[in-house]
Amino acid sequence: MARIGVFICHCGTNIAGVVDVEDVVRYASELDDVIFATDYKYMCSDPGGRVIKDAIKEYDLDKVVVAACSPRMHEPTFQAVITDEGVNPYCLEMANIREHCSWVHKDEKKEATLKAKDLVSMAVAKAGLLEPLESYSKDVVHDALVIGGGIAGIQASLDLAESGCKVYLVEREPSIGGRMAQLDKTYPTLDCSSCILTPKMMDVSRNPNIELYTYSEVVEVEGSVGDYKVKVKRKPTYVDWDKCNGCGECALVCRMKGKIPDEFNEGLGKRSAIYVPFQQAVPLKYTIDPSKCLMLLSGKCGDSPPCKDVCTLDAIDYEQEEEIIELNVGAIIAATGYDLLDANEMYEYGYNHSPDIITNLEFERLICSSGPTGGEIKRLSDDGEVKSVSFILCVGSRDKDLKEYCCRIGCMGALKHAYLLKEHLGDDLEINICYTDIRSFGKGYEEFYRRIRDTGTNFMRGRPSEIRTMKDGKLNFDIFDTATQKLFQVTSDIVVLVPALIPREGSDDIGRMLRISRGADDFFLESHPKLKPVDTSTDGIFIAGCCQGPKDIPDVVAQASGAASRANTILSKDTLESVSTVAVVNEDLCSGCGICAPVCDYGAIEIVEVEGEESKKIAEVDVALCKGCGACASACPSGAMEQKGFKCEQLSAMIRAVSKQVE
Amino acid sequence: MDKIGLYLGCLIPTEQYAYELAIREVLPELGLELVDIEEPACCGAPLRHINLSLTMYLSARNMALFEKEGLDILAPCPYCHQALSEVKDVMKKNPALKKKVNSYLKEEGLEYKGTIEHYHLLDLLHDQIGIDKIKKHVKKPLEGLNIAAHYGCHLIRPNDIPRPDDSENPQKLETLLKAIGAESDYYNEKLNCCGAHILLNESESALTKTGQKLEAVQNHGFDGMTTMCPWGQRMFDAKQDSAGQTVGASLSVPVIYYIQLLGLALGKEPEALGLHLNKSPVGKLSSKEEV
Amino acid sequence: MSIVDLTSMAEPEGNQQAKVDEIIKGLREDLSHDCYQCGKCTSGCEAFILTELEPHKVMALSKSGFIDELLNSSEIWTCVTCLKCKERCPQDLAPVDVIFALKNIAVVSGKQIDSGYSNMLQAVLGTGFIQSPKEVVDRENNAVTRDALGLPPMKGPAEIPKLQQVLMKAATETLR
Ligand SMILES: Cc1cc2nc3c(=O)[nH]c(=O)nc-3n(C[C@H](O)[C@H](O)[C@H](O)COP(=O)(O)OP(=O)(O)OC[C@H]3O[C@@H](n4cnc5c(N)ncnc54)[C@H](O)[C@@H]3O)c2cc1C
Ligand code: SF4
Ligand code: SF4
Repeated sequence: MARIGVFICHCGTNIAGVVDVEDVVRYASELDDVIFATDYKYMCSDPGGRVIKDAIKEYDLDKVVVAACSPRMHEPTFQAVITDEGVNPYCLEMANIREHCSWVHKDEKKEATLKAKDLVSMAVAKAGLLEPLESYSKDVVHDALVIGGGIAGIQASLDLAESGCKVYLVEREPSIGGRMAQLDKTYPTLDCSSCILTPKMMDVSRNPNIELYTYSEVVEVEGSVGDYKVKVKRKPTYVDWDKCNGCGECALVCRMKGKIPDEFNEGLGKRSAIYVPFQQAVPLKYTIDPSKCLMLLSGKCGDSPPCKDVCTLDAIDYEQEEEIIELNVGAIIAATGYDLLDANEMYEYGYNHSPDIITNLEFERLICSSGPTGGEIKRLSDDGEVKSVSFILCVGSRDKDLKEYCCRIGCMGALKHAYLLKEHLGDDLEINICYTDIRSFGKGYEEFYRRIRDTGTNFMRGRPSEIRTMKDGKLNFDIFDTATQKLFQVTSDIVVLVPALIPREGSDDIGRMLRISRGADDFFLESHPKLKPVDTSTDGIFIAGCCQGPKDIPDVVAQASGAASRANTILSKDTLESVSTVAVVNEDLCSGCGICAPVCDYGAIEIVEVEGEESKKIAEVDVALCKGCGACASACPSGAMEQKGFKCEQLSAMIRAVSKQVE
Repeated sequence: MDKIGLYLGCLIPTEQYAYELAIREVLPELGLELVDIEEPACCGAPLRHINLSLTMYLSARNMALFEKEGLDILAPCPYCHQALSEVKDVMKKNPALKKKVNSYLKEEGLEYKGTIEHYHLLDLLHDQIGIDKIKKHVKKPLEGLNIAAHYGCHLIRPNDIPRPDDSENPQKLETLLKAIGAESDYYNEKLNCCGAHILLNESESALTKTGQKLEAVQNHGFDGMTTMCPWGQRMFDAKQDSAGQTVGASLSVPVIYYIQLLGLALGKEPEALGLHLNKSPVGKLSSKEEV
Repeated sequence: MSIVDLTSMAEPEGNQQAKVDEIIKGLREDLSHDCYQCGKCTSGCEAFILTELEPHKVMALSKSGFIDELLNSSEIWTCVTCLKCKERCPQDLAPVDVIFALKNIAVVSGKQIDSGYSNMLQAVLGTGFIQSPKEVVDRENNAVTRDALGLPPMKGPAEIPKLQQVLMKAATETLR
């Protein structure tokens, strides 16, 4: 016979304001096996814990039911409380009478009380059948994987490396740097982006603890926290990077030179088929684009391929093949960054009608001295002089049809661009910023906004309905300015659209491999929006930077350091306690049919021969790998596979208890 | 599809005779039999200003009539087409409303189920009959003509109910123009309004809209303008002179229904297509074409 | 607790706003409530430049309940129903539908409306259509009729009184 104690929490008025707690206590104390029942204002508080501890001592309880909030919140709290009194932590059962009851039935108090009683009776029924469980421990691999080499991935890698971990940094492009490498100056302090980024990139390449895999992609992730097995595909660069010294002679002679839209310059410049994305690239090694190289496409490039001819180090290797590298890491940080929403999604803004209608990222390349025009700002349609530039904010952001959220960088970015434009082209340049709300929320941002207000920039509070390209190539739009209550017709040489930010292409695959959730906005979802901003729903997987949501560099870097330090809470341990609610096989019932093994996402089940018994096979669970998800138990046709803490008889008892109420 | 019910609404059968003539002349040539049904009435769209319920009732009533005959609908007026689409959509989403509408329809011995489709000429020609078939029937391609496309606001908007073409970048009319040998440039004013809606109470503003769009078409150097809307046609064609006076421009833009152009390309006689009823200088089109 | 417009001493008409919602509700869920006054609708309004109709202001006024000044204005009757406001609103709202609703309310509350609209209603009640077949002239100024053009006679409702009766009922009891 179990000796059960039931403890009902008021959660202030959260529960007690709806559920008649005293009535539930009365009801619980009459249930079978319940020796003691009571209530308390905050069960999770210290005095609340003492109530439980005292009762365990006084009544010699061996099972404890706490009716309170979600076990996600406080199961560990109460487990610790009962462990202190020598009760096994798995002899705790929680009934969630807050999220599942009082919060959702605010206006139906009577029914809520009835439901709370049902939930308690189920928990009591199960508690009677709970068994003490032991915990297992497993060894932790101390190395880490970082996916994505933007500023987020760079910062996280450097922090981890500094703390002594070995870090594998996997970047899809030929160089690390991400979007920050594409920026000219950075608000609010206007430091040159590459001047502050390049040293960090160099640090990465020099750090002995960091192993950099660029032009590579993660293709498979298995295992669990503390012990992930990862496969990384190194795409062939067709250049032997051990030999290449980055001299760049090859790109100068490439037959495709100046013919291929250059991704790094957002298509505004042209590159060769053999290229580095930008001159400060890390590593500064050349890559052949297989979709454009004549040799790789047709096996022929003129009489003989000039890149190979000119390379004195004999680094060109058209035969290079992709390579799969297997890594073993204890924790993973995803830092896959963002893309811009295709500006054509807002067709009325005419993005594909004129080369002079550009995105803000294209503008960064246009104004950057290392950009395709050498920093000369001109009309891209005809190289003409620029006398007026207009910025349109919130293109597809804060938009119910496209992206509901704010891009968080558009306002400040446009203010920065206004400043830089005046610096480049002088005070006579007309600048119009069409805004809905200027959001300058960060440290030093409002001050920056004021500085720009002083520069003679026109702020128009409104949004154009459409942008037209006129016969002379000029751009023209009407905007109703709600401040002056006037409809202005604006004619500009360049219109800069500020599109919404979206997760980087391919991040859905990464999300699937890492088994992490994505929010309604499609970005990776943190474990808790306030208290666990860099954790994910999968243990040992963390997120940093714009893959979690739009943000600017100060926030990205802070988050990356946060993710690194969170990862360290795992990597710094030698062993980890793994879950105790693992699957167990009842060897008598198991027929060895093997249905369970492929169902297990964690590869924890193996079908083995029973020693001494010819031809009898059974399933065997590796408790170090088992995550206690229960998939195998529900798949097993003979009821041989069960999950500890969620056994059939335990769950049946709960169902019986609640159906008795219904009868 | 070889048979379709013809729903003309109010404006076409009471004054836009050219549109009706051309429809009745051209579609059978493309293998489509047109069926007139008994007892149609106004689609209710013009009464929406006064009472939305009238629109809902009348649109449902017309659809119910065609449903009774088991016929899909061709509604060549975008204003009607949009009202039918919207009411169909609302009743699909709101069964309670459908029930209520049906309780009224019952008094006229009708029931709306929502089982038939309705088309405008745009999607009928482009998607149902198809560009290939049209091309095959062309006898006199309209080469050398650059025609401005005017869709009509209600034909493409709003995009939250099914419309025959994209709301911001419609292309079907241009494709149809190309199919009969003409060209059709993009112009900035393509999606602009004709002003018809406020002709009743704000005629000067209405004519200003008409005039501005025609002026843009003329300045762009188009040979003419084509429409798929009796309201737009009435403004741009019949009211072209007064629109010109209102905006102070001398306008001389041939304005012609697409179905008339199609008829010409199929080798039909201009008279049979009602070309003599167009008020704008449509003669300029055929002379240019012959050159 | 109150809000007063100090220029006119008017107070918001809460129940009037509910009327707008009521009328649109049959059509769509999103009313004027989510409007954040970006002004995109007015920037593109085909009527504004000619008639000073400001859809964003219509939204703000009806949202805050100051609906009377709109009902008495002529602006709401100048919307050309180009539907650009509805098409392009980033919050998926429909100023044009709010304007239609306001017109409907103006009619119910007996405001003076243009005779063109009442004539149209009378015509539909009397014949089923907004107008009857007209005699038109061709380019040479010859008068022509449907008949002369070889068009079949126009069909229409057989039992006009019946139709009239149902329409009046639908209009007064309102369908939604
Ligand atoms: C126009 C513009 C101007 C801006 N100006 C400023 C400014 O002045 N100041 C400021 O603070 N912020 C600014 N920002 C914001 C800034 O760009 C971002 O905050 C920052 O770059 C985000 O860094 P990240 O590392 O999170 O993402 P990213 O820079 O996008 O880096 C992600 C990296 O991950 C890699 N990757 C993606 N998917 C994979 C994969 N599957 N496998 C491997 N690698 C992958 C990518 O190739 C990339 O290198 C601006 C943004 C824009 C658009
Ligand atoms: S476009 Fe939409 S959100 Fe913007 S002001 Fe108009 S109604 Fe409001
Ligand atoms: S539908 Fe009416 S209010 Fe809306 S943009 Fe057009 S004219 Fe303006």
